[in-house]
Amino acid sequence: MIQMILRRLLLLIPTLIGLTLLLFVISRLLPGDPVGLAAGPNASAELIARMRAEFGFDDPLWLRYWHYLTGLLSGDWGTSVFTRRPVFQDVLTYLPATLELVFSALLIAVVIGIPLGLLTAVYRNGPLDYFIRTLALGGVAMPRFFLGLLLQLAFVAWLGWLPLSGRFPFLEIPPQSVTGFYTIDALLAGDIRAFGIAVSHLILPATAMALSPLATIMRMMRASTIEVLGQDYILNARALGLSQRLIIGKYVLKNAMSATLTVIGLYVSWLLGGTVLVETVFDWPGLGLFATQAILTQDFMPVIGVTLVIAIIYLLTMLVVDILYGVLNPKVRL
Amino acid sequence: MTLTKRQLLKSLLGGVALTVLPLSAMAQARKIMVVASTVDIPNFDPHVATGYAPQWLFRNVYDPLVRVTGTPPVATPGLAASWEMSEDGMTYTFHLDPTARFTDGSAVTAADVVYSFQRLLRLGTGPAWMVAGILDGDSVVATDDATVTMNLLKPFAPLLSVLPWMFIVNAAVVEANLGTDDAQAYLLQNIAGSGAFTINRALPGELYELLRVENDWHQGGNIDAVFWRIVREAATTRMLLQRGEVHFALDLFTEDMEALEGVPGVVRIMEPDYRSFSIKMNTAHGPLMDKNLRKAISYAFNYQSMLDAAQPAALMVGPLPPGMFGANPDLEVYRQDMDKAREYLAASDYADGGFTLSIHYAAGYEQQRRWCLILLEALATLNIQLDIRPMVWPDVVAMARSPETVTDFFSIFQSSNYADPDNTAYAAYHSSRNGQWQNPTYSNPEVDRLIEEARAATTPEARAELYGQFQEVVVEDAPDIFGVLELRKFAMRDNVQGYEFCPVGATSPEIWPLSLA
Repeated sequence: MIQMILRRLLLLIPTLIGLTLLLFVISRLLPGDPVGLAAGPNASAELIARMRAEFGFDDPLWLRYWHYLTGLLSGDWGTSVFTRRPVFQDVLTYLPATLELVFSALLIAVVIGIPLGLLTAVYRNGPLDYFIRTLALGGVAMPRFFLGLLLQLAFVAWLGWLPLSGRFPFLEIPPQSVTGFYTIDALLAGDIRAFGIAVSHLILPATAMALSPLATIMRMMRASTIEVLGQDYILNARALGLSQRLIIGKYVLKNAMSATLTVIGLYVSWLLGGTVLVETVFDWPGLGLFATQAILTQDFMPVIGVTLVIAIIYLLTMLVVDILYGVLNPKVRL
Repeated sequence: MTLTKRQLLKSLLGGVALTVLPLSAMAQARKIMVVASTVDIPNFDPHVATGYAPQWLFRNVYDPLVRVTGTPPVATPGLAASWEMSEDGMTYTFHLDPTARFTDGSAVTAADVVYSFQRLLRLGTGPAWMVAGILDGDSVVATDDATVTMNLLKPFAPLLSVLPWMFIVNAAVVEANLGTDDAQAYLLQNIAGSGAFTINRALPGELYELLRVENDWHQGGNIDAVFWRIVREAATTRMLLQRGEVHFALDLFTEDMEALEGVPGVVRIMEPDYRSFSIKMNTAHGPLMDKNLRKAISYAFNYQSMLDAAQPAALMVGPLPPGMFGANPDLEVYRQDMDKAREYLAASDYADGGFTLSIHYAAGYEQQRRWCLILLEALATLNIQLDIRPMVWPDVVAMARSPETVTDFFSIFQSSNYADPDNTAYAAYHSSRNGQWQNPTYSNPEVDRLIEEARAATTPEARAELYGQFQEVVVEDAPDIFGVLELRKFAMRDNVQGYEFCPVGATSPEIWPLSLA
């Protein structure tokens, strides 16, 4: 298992190098002029030339790429042409907000999706099953940003229960940053009230993001459970008179989880890549909005930085999924 | 630490209760103003950053020598309590306000002003383009501690109009944090100003909190703190404004203004500023080099349809924004007249039409697409086809570099950075700007001469005369389909006092002179 983890971690390096190379080549092929844009409409030709030289736009692609790769090793992820801020610092600023949102959404999806999947499988073809499956179908089909607007309308405008937007009330000071996750930082500081506030801000955007993965996880869990329930060893367990709770908890859940785990892993990247609209609706100061702005202005260093981070998180998530496979199914470890 | 179920429930309910509490009430007690905008403030360096959000920050945490207020905009005292100009327009003398203080309590001196201009010119970024060729490193001199003299390299009538964008930094603070990049890394996230506010909290992508400086030397306003709150969705902005959680909503569309009509506590502001839309023609490459063809198209275009699609707006009357000094409201410009259109088409080298021209519009911008369709319809009457292409802005900027790559029609919005016709005239019609998106191709030596003479003229009468001639020559050349001037649209709460619209920097309002009732 340790060998597998090390091998996978080593494989990360060529994957990420390939990714940065690909992005560099694409940035060269695109026709736009980010420096001209950043310099402004009134910039002199001298200023534009100076900025091009400053940001290395005049250098051959291989040289720019080499500078970038060597810079990465020292934590220098380049500088934004537009804001002149270091990309690494910006990524660190925006990443925790996005991760907190993504993991909260995933938590909601898993905590509700898996039991629902089990429940519908056990009581399959009953009224409960049909009801939940219909809801799930709607969940998959519903666009996240639209759901976000509906949730705002219901829980903010009509009921007035939850905050409209943002991560924290702007008149309040957020908890001292340790992890960047307001919920965790509040708990670390022992500030229960701040924890409550942070959670209240998370509920709506995380729910808007969670619905689609929740529905998929539920359906996947249902299908796997039905398959496992039909296996001989389950029939055998039943014949031996084991209780339904024991059968489901000990044998079915563990075996049905394997396929569902892959879906959960895949959803990490799906959620990471798709936060933009929800972040827009809820003014969530995350990576999605940062990346969108950079893409619209062809500000390549932030774009490459964000892509790298998402790739690293995705690859690490899949590694965790594989390890969990090994835990659930010893055959995989062979 | 561990949480009991009861504690967890209590904390969640506490969080909910806090969000339900009217924030407006909490804000009111401390006189806190909240400004909502879609735009972030990524860089705090007044000599580097551009864009309206950073400008807003600078106008509230720094001071220029001269401010700009009102409609029509006029220069009013900033750090300089008074000033005078020499008869030849080559020397300006500014007398600093003796009460002016930086936020660290030190007095603002002439040496700080000299230092700031030298840094601005040395870096050559931000607003430096406004005085490029007018001032150099030796032009700004401290005559004594409280007097600054500017010796211009050549006469420049709009000097007082551009000074509101040249902010003065605390030389001692900047020097102490110089680093290897002229303190750019320091001023990226720190303030060294004399403004009424200073920054307390900066949460990128979320909010910026400014606090009133203790012993603020500015006169007026009762605001203790102000928040620049980033709200991306117009619908959210509207809701926050209606709930009283936002006092100023800067980025609103026509439909938002309609929705806010009659809403209690909300004041809508729809004022003409200097942001115009025009369709420029490629005068240096392709069929539109032919002046008669350009005139034919200018006469065939349906201006009324464009105006209808742009409402609330006003039609442009020539190249200068209506209402700006020097703009001639009686200028005879092109309006739809199909007889004249056919007459000019017949006189052109393309009398039978039968060819295709191209235009781009900013991808996703529905109104620009509609205007392109109105042009398509006009061209069809002349038997000319139009190829309409959506493009992203960086591609448009790159395309402007050469006449060969520019589409036949080049559609742009254009704002004035300072309240002087020189801004529009120089950026959009002077041949030295060819290759830039505000003027990709147009060039006429006569127009260049008039623009240069108008910048150097020292009396308003002489300048008005020159700009009058400039407008006539440009209209005769027909390089643009002069489009529309959209009204600036935003809204505020009715308890905001002391606000006065200014068409320059309208989206970067100064907060410190305002009060909350």
